Amino acid sequence: MNARTSAAPRAVSPPSSTGGAAAVGDAWNRFWFSATNSRPLALVRIGAAAIALAAWWSYAADLQAWFGPAGVLPADTVREWRSPSGFSLLDWAATPAALNAVFGGTGVVFALLLVGFATPVVAPLAAVLWASLLHRGPILAGPADDCLSILLWCLAIGPAGEHLSLDRWLGNRAGRPVPAAGWRASISQGLLQVHATAIAVGAVLAQLKGDVWWNGLAAWYLATGPRSGAAGLVPLLERSEYLTNLLTHGVTAFEILFAIGLWCGPTQQLVARVGLVGWPLVGLLAGEPLWGLAMALFALPLAVRR
Amino acid sequence: MNNSSDTKTLSPVTQATVTVALAVYLVGLVLSIVGNTGSGSSAVVRTIKSRLFSPWMVPPWLDLGFDYRLTYGNDEDGDFSIEVRRQGDGKASPVRLPGRLTGERAARWRRLARSIAVEDTDRDGLLAAAVGRGMFDDVGAEDVTVRVLRTPLVDRGGPPPAPVQASSARVRMVGGELQLIRAEPRGEVAPLVRPDASGDPSDAGAGNAGEATR
Repeated sequence: MNARTSAAPRAVSPPSSTGGAAAVGDAWNRFWFSATNSRPLALVRIGAAAIALAAWWSYAADLQAWFGPAGVLPADTVREWRSPSGFSLLDWAATPAALNAVFGGTGVVFALLLVGFATPVVAPLAAVLWASLLHRGPILAGPADDCLSILLWCLAIGPAGEHLSLDRWLGNRAGRPVPAAGWRASISQGLLQVHATAIAVGAVLAQLKGDVWWNGLAAWYLATGPRSGAAGLVPLLERSEYLTNLLTHGVTAFEILFAIGLWCGPTQQLVARVGLVGWPLVGLLAGEPLWGLAMALFALPLAVRR
Repeated sequence: MNNSSDTKTLSPVTQATVTVALAVYLVGLVLSIVGNTGSGSSAVVRTIKSRLFSPWMVPPWLDLGFDYRLTYGNDEDGDFSIEVRRQGDGKASPVRLPGRLTGERAARWRRLARSIAVEDTDRDGLLAAAVGRGMFDDVGAEDVTVRVLRTPLVDRGGPPPAPVQASSARVRMVGGELQLIRAEPRGEVAPLVRPDASGDPSDAGAGNAGEATR
């Protein structure tokens, strides 16, 4: 495991080097508890909040049609559909005005997260409100929504408002110093790295159960899908089966290399930077552009570390 | 949250507590991935996850499998849409969703349509009934047909496929009660044999195979 963006000596107990268990313990402590600069987390915050606003806006026009008192997804129906542990604040929004108020409030919270105002309160609130919106209509949720939820919880754990934020600007005006690197940023960025790998592994395992990822035709079906942003590729793919195969295998290889490469010191930053470009392209091909952008954000802290 | 506390040495108790919390979460993450695959999960994983982890991982939307297959090139990966029209009125223009909508907004309607066609059959048409009920005002009637159309994926070198009906149900309000009548797919049935006109049961069906009716 590699320490991430360490900007100060570790603030953890000194490592002992005797025995395998001690070595594992040291590696664990280095990974999770090293003092870490929170500036990359601020970049993730801005990106995640922008995606959150885009995803939130996609609900706006149909909010009443879906969740309103006479909507197609009444709260009772959704309660029967979703997991018994599911819970949504919007279940209690029984009138159009109440629904608009909670939904509008969610948008305001995302906007505050974007500018970084009262971030220690706003970040967890954003995660709660987003989960609440998804639980109100789990049928409508897609991959981007899942990844956004993870991103928001990671931001809720770490000090995401210490840089590039209104909080910082106000702190500067009040003469408060920039906080030094800390362990909460380390945990937050560690969780981003773990989830980046988990999501890539989950996607690869799911894809490799399908024939089209082995016979090389998956890229064709993705590019000709209704939402694909790669429709311009279709004439090329139609002319060349080899190109279709290369693109398909390229997506699989990228996901595997991303999952592994994030954990190898020499390749870590390179792989993360490739991920910044690669994931949005995969998202565009698959017709899930927000998902691609969200995946890129998981790699962002490792890509920008010095 | 006090940011300045970050810079100080982490107390052993805090570090141990955070370590335990992280370890428990990572176990939950692994179980979520193993337990939320399209292939299903084993009874032991299902039980452990549902009893120990789901109660606190589901509410924050963290019980996720990440099985983003993107496509398998099969029917379920086609383009789904909803069509609602007044029952028995072929001339009335139907409400189509997502219709001409684009982007993430259209994607959400497509997911709803796909859920009705693929998953709703196991749940007694819960979603189809809700969608039909929610569309009464839009269609201007309390007796509607909710159809999900699926446009199959385009095969290489093949013509653009036409949409096919993936599911259909009639939803109506009768005496304040919502009724759902599903149009079951026509399947193979045994021929109904008409008795011979002579009344000899031993000859029944021998010469009437061509008259089998449903």
